Amino acid sequence: MRYLITPLVLLTCGSLVLYPVVFLVSESFNVGEPGVFPPQAVGWSNYLNLYDDSRILANTALVACLATVMAVVFGFTLAWILTRTAIPGRAMLERLLELPYYMTPLVGAMAWGIIAGPKTGMVNQVVTYFGGSGDFIDVYGPYGIAWVMALFEGTVAFVMISAAMKSMDPSLEESSRVMGASKLQTALRITLPMVAPGVVSATIFVFAEMLGSFAAAFVLGIPGRFYVVTTAIWQATLSYPPEYGRAAAMGLSLFLVMLVMLGLSRLILRRGSYATITGKAFRPRPLEVGGLRYLLAGVCWLYVVLSVLLPLAALLLTSFQKFATVLLAQSSFTLDNYRSALDMGALGSALENSLFLGFVVASIAVPLVSVLVWLIYRGNIPGGRLVESVVMFPQAVPRLVFGLGLLWAWLTMPIPIYGTLWLLGIAYLTVFLPLGMRTMAGVVLQVDRGLEECARVCGASWAHQMRTVTLPLLRPGMVAAWLLIFIAGVRELGVSIFLMGPNAKVVAPAIVNSWLSSSSELSAAMALLQTLAVFAAVAVLFIAVRRVAGEEKA
Amino acid sequence: MQAAPTPPPVIDVDGLEVRYGEVMAVKGVSFSVGHGELVTLLGPSGCGKTTTLRAIAGLEKPSGGSIALGGTPVYSAPLRRNVPTEKRGVSMVFQSYAIWPHMSVFENVAYGLRVRRLPKAEIAREVARALALVQMQAYADRPATRLSGGQQQRVAVARAIAFSPDVVLFDEPLSNLDAKLRAEMRVELRELQRQLSFSAVYVTHDQEEALAISDRVIVMNGGRIEQIGTPQDIYDRPCSRFVADFVGSANLVAGQVRPGPVTDGTVLFVTASGLELRVTATAPPTGTENTAALRASYINLAPINLATGNAPAGARNVAQGRIQRRLFHGDFNEYVVAWPPGQLIVRRPPTEVLAEGEAVAIWFDPGHCVLLGDPPHP
Repeated sequence: MRYLITPLVLLTCGSLVLYPVVFLVSESFNVGEPGVFPPQAVGWSNYLNLYDDSRILANTALVACLATVMAVVFGFTLAWILTRTAIPGRAMLERLLELPYYMTPLVGAMAWGIIAGPKTGMVNQVVTYFGGSGDFIDVYGPYGIAWVMALFEGTVAFVMISAAMKSMDPSLEESSRVMGASKLQTALRITLPMVAPGVVSATIFVFAEMLGSFAAAFVLGIPGRFYVVTTAIWQATLSYPPEYGRAAAMGLSLFLVMLVMLGLSRLILRRGSYATITGKAFRPRPLEVGGLRYLLAGVCWLYVVLSVLLPLAALLLTSFQKFATVLLAQSSFTLDNYRSALDMGALGSALENSLFLGFVVASIAVPLVSVLVWLIYRGNIPGGRLVESVVMFPQAVPRLVFGLGLLWAWLTMPIPIYGTLWLLGIAYLTVFLPLGMRTMAGVVLQVDRGLEECARVCGASWAHQMRTVTLPLLRPGMVAAWLLIFIAGVRELGVSIFLMGPNAKVVAPAIVNSWLSSSSELSAAMALLQTLAVFAAVAVLFIAVRRVAGEEKA
Repeated sequence: MQAAPTPPPVIDVDGLEVRYGEVMAVKGVSFSVGHGELVTLLGPSGCGKTTTLRAIAGLEKPSGGSIALGGTPVYSAPLRRNVPTEKRGVSMVFQSYAIWPHMSVFENVAYGLRVRRLPKAEIAREVARALALVQMQAYADRPATRLSGGQQQRVAVARAIAFSPDVVLFDEPLSNLDAKLRAEMRVELRELQRQLSFSAVYVTHDQEEALAISDRVIVMNGGRIEQIGTPQDIYDRPCSRFVADFVGSANLVAGQVRPGPVTDGTVLFVTASGLELRVTATAPPTGTENTAALRASYINLAPINLATGNAPAGARNVAQGRIQRRLFHGDFNEYVVAWPPGQLIVRRPPTEVLAEGEAVAIWFDPGHCVLLGDPPHP
């Protein structure tokens, strides 16, 4: 039995994960008729032609570098302020800093397009009103894209750097002070070297993420014909005839670069990190910074305003107007945008589909992942590590590239599920496995093995132990994993953009299409509806879970 | 007349081997535990004591040997038999206590009874009894997360005894308590075990604890048993250098056995410095023994210059030395004494005070100085 599990899991997950990659590789060497599998003619020309795309590669490098520098500066500053200084309202700020993640880069990019677009952007409207030029600020271009990516995808830098700062034993700094070093000397000689590996690792990780980032470059780059690798891949599949080979070659190259960087980031963290050896979280005693604390709290609030409040306000204001303007005297308010967003069969059904997919995929993925995690970390199945790396593989592939592979893989399959919700469901399940695995692994590893063993010693069978001890202890983690996957599913863009069919629309690509082809007012309304729907669904679930838990207690 | 057949031991471990990949954690361990007996597995960390205990519970799968509970094999390599943990009917107190955080104290203690599908009234009665035994009856409705370390420990014990098991296994149950609480719980656990007369295997690395609570002590080292005996045996007659050093405070004296007959169980031992001592030999010496162990508490000291202070007439193993240091421990004084073979640690009651630098007479009974055998496992 034990020996059957591993091959079975490997076969299922392996085919889900690796099958699309096979097609990607084959297509990148296909120099004959595009999209035919197996290729009629193979060669290196797709890769050699990448040389002609050097403009795009330079654009990508520029945007990713700018965005990484900004994200790490933001992340380091915020992490230091929040973990190391005594500022007012620290607990609340820590919560608020999670919000940019829930905003998504897509919504953020649209909001910043509305705030700082050329001519009609809100800032430029104000500047023009006071007699300035309408080109005061323009977010459409490399700097704007990098700015938006740093704001909305940079939160990972904050999370990683604060983890490094939190895992440092405060007594290391205290002993430096006792030996007679000043605050500054301690910071330079002790704190900085201790957190340096964490920061370097976070920087590389963020850079890799930025290379594979899609939404901001899409929303703010396409209108000005400014392409990075991801948007170029998307463009290549739309041209006539479709340049699938070129797209695949770009996608695979991007994947390889990202894989190397992610590996490097992990290696640095593991090798160089003195701080995380114990794995224990410390709460260092915060530095007393006197009057400076209001300034530091202000910095955090500024970030919250720029990444959450301002974008939300801009979207809200825009969505209720006929023509977006901040000059309230000139504005005419209307509910038309919401009316047409809901009337338009497109969004209505897309929203429904997304919620449905999120619900189903989360409900399948959580039990599946729970069993996998338990088998890998507790079941001691042979080859557990191999299973883990196969399941975690999609994490290393940019979503967009993975979507591309899935597109061909399922176009070629005799089963006609291309363009249906089935394919989207399978794709979501595959790409969200790593997310579920990471969440559940954290939960499972926290459960002391003795708690399970004790149940067995008390005479409980394996099934009874699972039911009375293991599952109840895992339940909060399973709810959290479900929510994460549900939210990720409802706002999925990279994979969906290739796999969506005319009869199986989902919401994020629908918003993108609206942004590119119709008005920003309508798109703002759609984005807000999507956000609202996610919040409503999560709230309903929370109430339901609490009610069930309450009944059990009674 | 026929002798009544001796009942089989409650626990019988024979030639137990446990392997973790390439590493042998337990290398052929054999012992048995009688009815109502408390046997301690004592040794430094990594000696295989916890692994042995977990193998008895069925939480580790051995690679060789056999384990029988009440005469029934639960693990046997030759029979290819391995009874799952829950079918073995043993109970266990974990080092981490393993109190389930999602249950109340009552639910924790009732777990083993509910698994056995006892009627509700009986469960309530047995839980109340178990909680009363550990003085926790007032906490039955408390969520398990709102207990102090000492209270968790008591609940863990109550849970382990609630379903009246014949065998309770203890895996360093007191190691997470502070020193005072540990000393109290030691007494309580021993009382409880006597009162309920279950058989127990108790794992600890604390030699004082092992000596205090056990019927028999098994000293383990490097996956093997060094010595099995009553606490008094282990303390008075350690059979190896390891046991003498690990249990209690001993002086190890280097020298050689003088060939000759064993008289009154003692032989002549000559230290490297030429001092002749009569020492106890637990077995006829082979002639290669080179160490004698001398407990710090069994050595007598007296100031040399006072007429009454010299070694009393008829004293054996007499030598002279000088006090180098006195360390006041409260319950006793510890002296570091320079004597011909080198340094000697001596513990004396706090009523006997000797000054640093003072010349002293040293003497001790041959029964308290033991010739150490060759290591059993070279």
